[in-house]
Amino acid sequence: MTDIIVNGMSFALPLFIIAVGGIFSERSGVTNLALEGFLGAGAFIGALFVVLTSGLFPATSQLPMYLALLFSMIGGALYAILHAVLCIKFKANQVISGVVVNILAAALTDFLTSQINAGVFGQSSDKFVLTVSSRVTFAHLSKIPVIGGFFTNVYPFEFIIIVIALIAAYVMYGSRFGLRLRACGDNPYAVDAAGCNVGRLQFAAVLISGGLSGLGGMCFAYSVYGNYSSSIYSGYGYLAIAAMIFGNWKIPSTLGACLLFGFARAVGYWLVQRLGLPGTYSDLIMILPYALTLLLLALFSKNNRSPRALGEIYDKGKR
Amino acid sequence: MKKENQKKKTRPNLFLTIMGDEKRQNISIPLFAILLSLIAGAILMLILGKNPIDAYVSLLQGCGLLPKANYAGGKNMFTDFMSFLDIWTPMIFASLSVAVAYKTGLFNIGVSGQMLLGGFIASITVGYSDLPAYVAKPLVLVISMAVGALVGALIGILKYRFNINEVVSAIMLNYIFQYMLSFFILTFFVNPITRQSETVGENARMTLQNVQIGELKTVVPLGFVIALVIVVITHYFLKYTRTGFEFKAVGANKKAAVYAGINDRKNIMLSMSLSGALAGLAGATYYMGYLGSIQPKTLPSTGFDAIAVCLLGNSNPIGILAASFLISIITKGGTYMNSAIGVPQEISSLITGLMLVFAACGAYIRVRLYRAREKRRTMEENEQLTVKQEGKEKEGAVK
Amino acid sequence: MDEYIVEMRHITKRFPGIVANDDISIGIKKGEIFALLGENGAGKSTLMSILFGMYEPDEGEVYIRGEKVEHFSPNHATELNIGMVHQHFKLVSNYTITENIILGMEPKRRLGGLLPVVDVKNADKKIADLSRKYGLEVDPTQKIENLNVSMQQRVEILKMLYREAEILIFDEPTAVLTPQEVEFLLDIIREMRKMGKTIILITHKLEEIKQVAERCAILCQGKLTAVCDVAQTSTKQMASLMVGRDVSFEVEKKPPRFGKEVLQVEHLVVKNADGFPVVNDVSFGVRSGEIFAIAGVAGNGQVEIADAVAGMVQCAEGKITLADADITHASTRARIEKGLAYIPEDRQSSGLILDFSLGDNLLLKRYYQEPYCEKGILQRDAFEKKSRELIEQFDIRSGQGEKTTVRSMSGGNQQKAIVAREIELNTPCIIFVQPTRGLDIGAIEHIHEQILKERDKGKAILLISLELDEIMKLADTIGIIYNGQLLKIAAAETLTTNEVGQYMMGVKAE
Repeated sequence: MTDIIVNGMSFALPLFIIAVGGIFSERSGVTNLALEGFLGAGAFIGALFVVLTSGLFPATSQLPMYLALLFSMIGGALYAILHAVLCIKFKANQVISGVVVNILAAALTDFLTSQINAGVFGQSSDKFVLTVSSRVTFAHLSKIPVIGGFFTNVYPFEFIIIVIALIAAYVMYGSRFGLRLRACGDNPYAVDAAGCNVGRLQFAAVLISGGLSGLGGMCFAYSVYGNYSSSIYSGYGYLAIAAMIFGNWKIPSTLGACLLFGFARAVGYWLVQRLGLPGTYSDLIMILPYALTLLLLALFSKNNRSPRALGEIYDKGKR
Repeated sequence: MKKENQKKKTRPNLFLTIMGDEKRQNISIPLFAILLSLIAGAILMLILGKNPIDAYVSLLQGCGLLPKANYAGGKNMFTDFMSFLDIWTPMIFASLSVAVAYKTGLFNIGVSGQMLLGGFIASITVGYSDLPAYVAKPLVLVISMAVGALVGALIGILKYRFNINEVVSAIMLNYIFQYMLSFFILTFFVNPITRQSETVGENARMTLQNVQIGELKTVVPLGFVIALVIVVITHYFLKYTRTGFEFKAVGANKKAAVYAGINDRKNIMLSMSLSGALAGLAGATYYMGYLGSIQPKTLPSTGFDAIAVCLLGNSNPIGILAASFLISIITKGGTYMNSAIGVPQEISSLITGLMLVFAACGAYIRVRLYRAREKRRTMEENEQLTVKQEGKEKEGAVK
Repeated sequence: MDEYIVEMRHITKRFPGIVANDDISIGIKKGEIFALLGENGAGKSTLMSILFGMYEPDEGEVYIRGEKVEHFSPNHATELNIGMVHQHFKLVSNYTITENIILGMEPKRRLGGLLPVVDVKNADKKIADLSRKYGLEVDPTQKIENLNVSMQQRVEILKMLYREAEILIFDEPTAVLTPQEVEFLLDIIREMRKMGKTIILITHKLEEIKQVAERCAILCQGKLTAVCDVAQTSTKQMASLMVGRDVSFEVEKKPPRFGKEVLQVEHLVVKNADGFPVVNDVSFGVRSGEIFAIAGVAGNGQVEIADAVAGMVQCAEGKITLADADITHASTRARIEKGLAYIPEDRQSSGLILDFSLGDNLLLKRYYQEPYCEKGILQRDAFEKKSRELIEQFDIRSGQGEKTTVRSMSGGNQQKAIVAREIELNTPCIIFVQPTRGLDIGAIEHIHEQILKERDKGKAILLISLELDEIMKLADTIGIIYNGQLLKIAAAETLTTNEVGQYMMGVKAE
């Protein structure tokens, strides 16, 4: 049981913060299929920071990890500029732009990873080796039956994600910026008439989306993989999109969707271990989140309402 | 002040003339994108300290389009070219697959998954059988097409019955196939040495191996001829048939198509099935022709490169033939470029990625050109107006 | 100089192909109601968009309170206390009235003395007060998507008042309102003048000007033809100044010759995505040679009736019969073949495929029939021949004939293309929805003539329009819809405009 909670949470939370990124972008009216690219590019920058500064910190220091999380957010946001420019400034088709941005991210980070490995470290490798993040167990809380699992072997980044998600929820639902941003997704012309700059709001939303996705990607790199390589592009960005749709573009219900994905996956792995199946069966478990996503979307997405102006190309001149 | 004005006027005009009218933009914008990304690639190579011209020449050499300095025994430019055709073939099918869906307003990003599943099912049913070649080869095509079409139809149903964006469902299916087939291959069909699936039999192979022509040993990709035929058929189909007209109507404006009595669901299903079938053909020529076996846990990059091809080729079959030629040179030639001059192979996919980005900017260029032209029209009209008015005033003064 | 709060001098604004404003000079006094009169396309909206800062004039100057306006932007206009209610409302549908009004200048409070959050509660109170002061009667906590058009308009007015606008521009505010709602609006406008606001009213309706305005500027084809004192000018004079020639308000309409019923709708129910019945138990019949018009305020279910008859939406209950055949569950195409032509409300999004050529659009409903298609292969020669014929016959103007991309054609010609295509189908029943929306007066007259011509040929015509004038002018029989129900069906001559208006508001019932 404890194992399931530990694994479930450590997968669900990074997915959740990526999905929150998606919510920001889509509630502002910009379709975002580029989460996959954002999370990869963000994690790349974070990991790059770690390998470049690896000599500067003592081996046991946790500081590099925190800095990596910060840099991954910056990296994700910077890369998101590409999607923002294509969609908002160049008025490209947002679906195409998203897919294009993903493909470029994979090509670009692949190229840079091997070049940097060769050029800086003189070794031919297509990955940056990170450690798996250390974990925290709360001595007393972890002893509580059942829910004790939530306080056992917790990755530190899980707390960071919770704090950032709370801030994101405040920005989205409490602040002026959030009110305007959500209005853009429904009727950008109303926002323009109210004297706000729609393009700038959407731009900001896409950048936030990039930052949060980058953070999520870095967390995956520190937990699921333990390194940075092109295997970071394994469709978690698209899973986050599914969670967002399933959560009806709202932050709280999206959290529910992510927990569901996370726990389904954790239960699957637990089963493989329990039943003592050979390693190849883990491939079958890997199918679970994707298959579950399709099933849930098939059941629920008919009733969901996307933001009204989602994907619409906003042209100020039009009335 | 006046000088500045003139500058402003002449600069966009030159660009306007080069880019041409809307019809010509279909060609000039992709060419512009290609040019930009090749330049970007060249700059990268310069940074890496390599000569870009050598690099681009070696790309062509690797594809048998220019002679290499020396060849191994039994090889020459012709055999290189034949193996280039071998990898170009699946690219043509995959790109046509993207294009057929795209014309109907659908984005088939699941070509890779459909290729994989089509290739796999054809492998285990026909590839490991001892049917005679004249039965096995056509059967491979039929089975892979049928499998691809079924997957396409599934995506179509998910789209219109369950309101699931086809990009999301196709990606989910991609991963599901990838892991599922990895499980099956590693459990049942694995070759313990290569860690890939067992190579399919010569009887079912879509590319003839080691064909002796004089001194030379070459591959003969049978699928290439089929690919050329399918290009022509697809072109004709989209342009002159009733169904092609309906596809384009649904793609250009679904609401208006429904209003005109066109059955959008039927066309979405049909288009996705056709797209899937073409992806199946790509899978057959890729796994049963070019490779001969399947690597577990890997989606073919062809399915994603096909998106670049489709965008560059403006989803027009003839354009796609040209664009797939180019992209195939970049991907196939990359290996030789790496071994000959030491330019990293990853730069190929980077150049392709950049082409995609620049091609995606096409809409913007189009709008800007349109606006610039409108502006010029207004300015000209204004000038005419002022000239007329001045004329009138003069007349008045004379009177 | 100081007598004018707004002064526009020698304004000229050109767009590709037309001069929208040609050397126009007007002055507006503080505290007056100033009307701007002209047909569609006369340049009224352009002129006011310049005042509101949405366009910069090519020539000329604007002075507000005697000071020259240096740069043009809506934000700057708002700073100068100018407000505008646009013809198409700019509201966020899933927000409350308050949220819509405060958008862009949200009041803040500090949560726990720290976090700044948007203070909606306080704003609610402030807006309720404002609403009471001007007699607007709105509940600030309601969501926009639950409001009718008239209420939404009041939200737009409150938006201006909340921003302390002194100069208020109304762009065709009465176009979508019932006569009674118009009265209410005019009362509000008078109330605002009493509070010292300056009001500019853009309209093409003469009676309203007579009722409220003091002075009136008349535009015709981009030129200012007159500025007149409303009290001393007759409606007739204003009308001829507006059109540039004498106008007769009547169209020539022959007495009807009804035949048998072609279209029958019985107990029709149409539900929206939420399962709410937007059309509720509607029954009517249209005879050949009859124009049956459905009058109603926008969003009361009239478009859904047309869509249900044409097969664009499912009918939940009821029966539709066309030429003696039950078509309730027939496909769209089967209905077309059975004899239904349909000119839809939104020509650009449903009526045409903008990226297709004019020729392909003209044959959008015929492309699969012989001789245009044989054994699944399109016959391009036949396409060309037929579309050239239609272009000639209906006088459709375009740059490159049938090869022109429809996107590049003017709105009037796009509508002509749709009408040509539908009339050419030569079906016993034709549905017209908002056939003249956004067209200039010449084009409107042309379309009206076409409708009457088809009626006199013995077609059954279902006309759905938001323009009450249009309905009163053309209809033989009028059905009035309110809240998805037909409240009244009666011969046109037995109803007055005012009565129809009352039914449209749901005030009067049998």
